[in-house]
Amino acid sequence: MTDTADAALVPHASDEVNDARPVSAEAWRSLRANPLFWISATLILVFVLMAAWPSLFTTLDPRTSVLAEARRGPSSEHWFGQDRQGYDLYTRCIYGARASILVGLTATIGTSVVGVTLGLIAGYMGGWVDAVISRFAEIFFGIPLLLGAIIILQSVSFGNSYFAIVGQVAAVLIVLGWPSIFRLMRSAVIQVKPQEYVQAARALGCSPLRIARSHILPNALGPVIVVSTINLGVFISAEAALSFLGIGLRPPTVSWGVMISDGAGAMQSAPHGLLFPSLFLSLAVLAFIMLGDAIRDAFDPKSK
Amino acid sequence: MRGIYRAVGVVAASALALTLSACGGDDSGDDSEAGLTVFGCNPENPLVPQNTAETCGGDPQDLTVAKLIHYDVENAAPEYDIAESIETKDNQNFTVKIKPDYKFSDGTAVTAESFVKAWNYAAWGPNAYQANYFFEPFAGYGAMQCVPPENVELGEEEDPCAKYPPTDKDEALDGLKVVDETTFTIQTTEKVSNLEVRLGYTAFAPLPESFFEDPEAFGEKPVGAGPYQVDEWTKNEEIVLSKNPEYSGEFPGIEDKITFRIYENAEAAYADLQAGNLDVINQIPTDSLIDDKWLSDLDDRGTSRPVGVTQTIGINPVADKSLDNPDLRKAISMAIDRQTVIDQIFAGTREPATGWVSPVVDGFKAGACGEWCNYDPEAAKKLWDSAGGYDGALTLAVNNDSDHGPWAEAACNSIRQALDVECTVDLSRDFATFLTDLGEGKIKGMFRQGWQMDYPSIENFLVPLYSAGASSNYYGPYDNPEFEELTRKAAAAPDLDQANALYQQAEALLSEDMRIIPLWYATGQAGWSDRVQGEVAINAFGVPDYRNVELN
Repeated sequence: MTDTADAALVPHASDEVNDARPVSAEAWRSLRANPLFWISATLILVFVLMAAWPSLFTTLDPRTSVLAEARRGPSSEHWFGQDRQGYDLYTRCIYGARASILVGLTATIGTSVVGVTLGLIAGYMGGWVDAVISRFAEIFFGIPLLLGAIIILQSVSFGNSYFAIVGQVAAVLIVLGWPSIFRLMRSAVIQVKPQEYVQAARALGCSPLRIARSHILPNALGPVIVVSTINLGVFISAEAALSFLGIGLRPPTVSWGVMISDGAGAMQSAPHGLLFPSLFLSLAVLAFIMLGDAIRDAFDPKSK
Repeated sequence: MRGIYRAVGVVAASALALTLSACGGDDSGDDSEAGLTVFGCNPENPLVPQNTAETCGGDPQDLTVAKLIHYDVENAAPEYDIAESIETKDNQNFTVKIKPDYKFSDGTAVTAESFVKAWNYAAWGPNAYQANYFFEPFAGYGAMQCVPPENVELGEEEDPCAKYPPTDKDEALDGLKVVDETTFTIQTTEKVSNLEVRLGYTAFAPLPESFFEDPEAFGEKPVGAGPYQVDEWTKNEEIVLSKNPEYSGEFPGIEDKITFRIYENAEAAYADLQAGNLDVINQIPTDSLIDDKWLSDLDDRGTSRPVGVTQTIGINPVADKSLDNPDLRKAISMAIDRQTVIDQIFAGTREPATGWVSPVVDGFKAGACGEWCNYDPEAAKKLWDSAGGYDGALTLAVNNDSDHGPWAEAACNSIRQALDVECTVDLSRDFATFLTDLGEGKIKGMFRQGWQMDYPSIENFLVPLYSAGASSNYYGPYDNPEFEELTRKAAAAPDLDQANALYQQAEALLSEDMRIIPLWYATGQAGWSDRVQGEVAINAFGVPDYRNVELN
C-alpha cells in the first residue's frame, strides 16, 4: 500500500520541521486509507442509528404480538418471519440493537474511565500506591468474567425498569472488565514517564496534576483506545451470552441475546427465530472488532 | 403448596434429564423374551410406597402395590380393591373391612395389621417419609411429628427431630385401631366426607411384615399385593416386573412381564420407540409436540388426555389495593386468550380451564368460572374501563427456575393488547423466594400458581388451596365465610354425591371474587409401538394403564 511510503516520509518530515505531528492526526491519516475502517464504520453507523432511532427502519412496535401467527417463516409482511410469541422478528432485531449497543458503550466507557484513572494514578505515583491499586485490580482480574457475572447478577438487582436492567448488566461488565484497561494504562504510563518532555515539564515546575493530564495522558492513551474498541464488541457478545443464560437482560427489554435464547427453544420448527438475531449480533461484534483492528494498525505502524 | 412443589420438581427433574445423556436403554430388546417394555426413569428413593412422591418410582409401584381403593382408569372413580367395605356414620369414625383372601407376593396374608403398621410407620415424623402429610387428618397425627417451638429458629441443615422428638410414646396414630384380622377403625380429627377417595393413593398401601424387619432391603426388592411383583431392579438400567402368582384381586394384568427401561431423557426413549425397541412412552419431547409432529411420526399411535394438574393466576388484593375491585380481576381473566396460548406455546398440550377443579376428578362440574373464563377482549375492555382500570404497569410474577417465561409473556401480551394496560413478566425470583414473598404478601399484581392433585377429588382442588387457613392461600388470604360453611358442610355430608354438590357450590363462589383466575388443565401424552394391540389408555395421574396393554 502507499502507507509504507507515507510512514517512511512522515518522521523524516517532522524531524525537519521540528514540530512532531500529533500521534492522533497521523493515525487518522492512516485510518482514512484503510478500507476495513470504512466498512466497519458504516456498519457501526447503521447500528448506532438503529439504536438511537429504530423507527427509521421499521414502523411496527416490537411488542405487538400476534400469537396466532407464532413461528411463521419470512413473508412480504414480516421480512424475517415471526417468533414464538408472534412478534415481528425484523422489528425486534432493529430494537434489539439499542440494548446491545447501550450495554457495550456503557461498559466500554465505564471500564475506560475507571481503568485509565486508576492506571494513571498507579503508574505515575508508583510506590505503595501502585502496589495497593495493582493488588486490588488483581482481585478482580482473577474472577472469570462469566462466573463473576452470574454470581453478581443473581445476587444484586437494580430494579425492573429498562435502564436499571441495562445498567445492571453494564455495571457488572465494568466491575469485572476494568482491570485489563488498568494494567494497559499503567504500563503505558510507566513507559511515558521517563521521557524527556515529562522530565522537562517537571523541571519547569509543572504540578503533578498538570504533567499527568497534559503530558502523560495524551501520550499513553493510544493502546487503551485500541483495546477499548475491540472490547466494545466483546462486551456486546458477553451481554448476549449472559442474556442467553437468562441472567443478563430480560423481557420486556428486547436484546439480541434474549432473542437468541428464545429462538433456541424452537430451533427445529422455526430456525429463523435463531438465525436473524444471531446474524445481527455477529455483524455488530465483527464491526467493532474490525474497527479496533483498523485503529490498532493506525496507532501502531509496526504491526503492519 | 406441596402440590406446586411437586409439579415444579417434576419439571425440574425432566429438565435435568434433558441435559444428561442417556446411559441405559441401548441394549436392543429381543422382542419375544422381553414382554412389554415401557419408558422408565430413575426412582428418587428406594421403592417403598409410602416414600415415593414422584413418577419414576411411582409408575412401577402402581403395578406392584394394591390399596384399599382402586381408581378407575377413565374417570378416576374410586372402586373397592382390598377393601370389602368402608363404613361411617359421622364422617369421623370409619370402620374398614378388608377382603380376607388378599396375599402379598411373598405369600403372607394382607391383614388389618399390615395397613395400621404401615401407616403408623409413614406418619412417624422421625422416619421423614414423603407421604407423611397424607396422614394429617388422622387423630393423633400432631403428636407423631417433630415440631420445634414457634420462637425457635432452626438452621437449614438441622434435624428438628434431634432436639424436639415427637411427644407420642408408642409411635402409633391414636386414630388407628386394629379390631380383628380383617377389620380396623380410623378416627379423624375433623369430619372428612371423601376419605374413601383419599385411600386409593399409594401412601395408603399395606406393607408386609418383611418391611419392618429391614426397610432398606425392602426398598431394593419391594413386596406388594398388586397384580405384578418386582423381579429385579438393576440401577440405571431397568426394573423388571412379572405377574404376582399370589394375586387374587379384580384388577389383574395381561402381559406376563413388564420391563421399565430407564432413560435419562425423553429424546432417547422417543428414538427407541420409533426404532421399535420400546413399546410405550408417556413423555414426548417438546420439539416433537409442535404441530402434532409426534402423531405423524408414530402413525397416530398416540393419545392425549387431561390429567389432574391445574394452572392459575392469583391476585392478592390486600397486597395490591388497586386490584381490589373484582371487576378488574374478571376483566383480566376475560382478556387472556387461553386457547391460542395453549396452541402456540404449549403445542396444544393443555386444555382451557372453565373452573378451578381439574376435569379428571370425582365431582368435577364444567363451567364453574362461567363467562369470565371466555376470551372476549371487547367485553373485557369495557368492564376494565368501567371499573376504573389500573395505574401503572401490571406485573405477572412467575418463578424463574422453571420454564414459565414463555406462557407468562404470551398471557401478558394478551392482557396488554386487550385492556390497553402495560403488562410485564416479573422473573426476578426463584421458587423458594417466590413462595416466601407470596407468604409475606410482597408480590403485587398477578402471580402464577399451580396445583397437582394428591387424590382425585374435587375437595383436593378447593380446601387445601382456598380455605382461610390453608398454607398456600396467598390471595389475601381468601377468606369467604360462605365458602368455609359450604366446605364444612360438604365434609360432613352423608354421602359423596351430596358432598360433591356442596363442593361445587363452593367452587362457584370463587367466580364472584376472581382472586384466582383459572388458566388451563394439563394433559398427559402416551405413544406406543406397532407391537401394541389397540390403544393405550392414560389414567388421571398421567400414567399409562400398563396393566391392560396387550402385545400382538
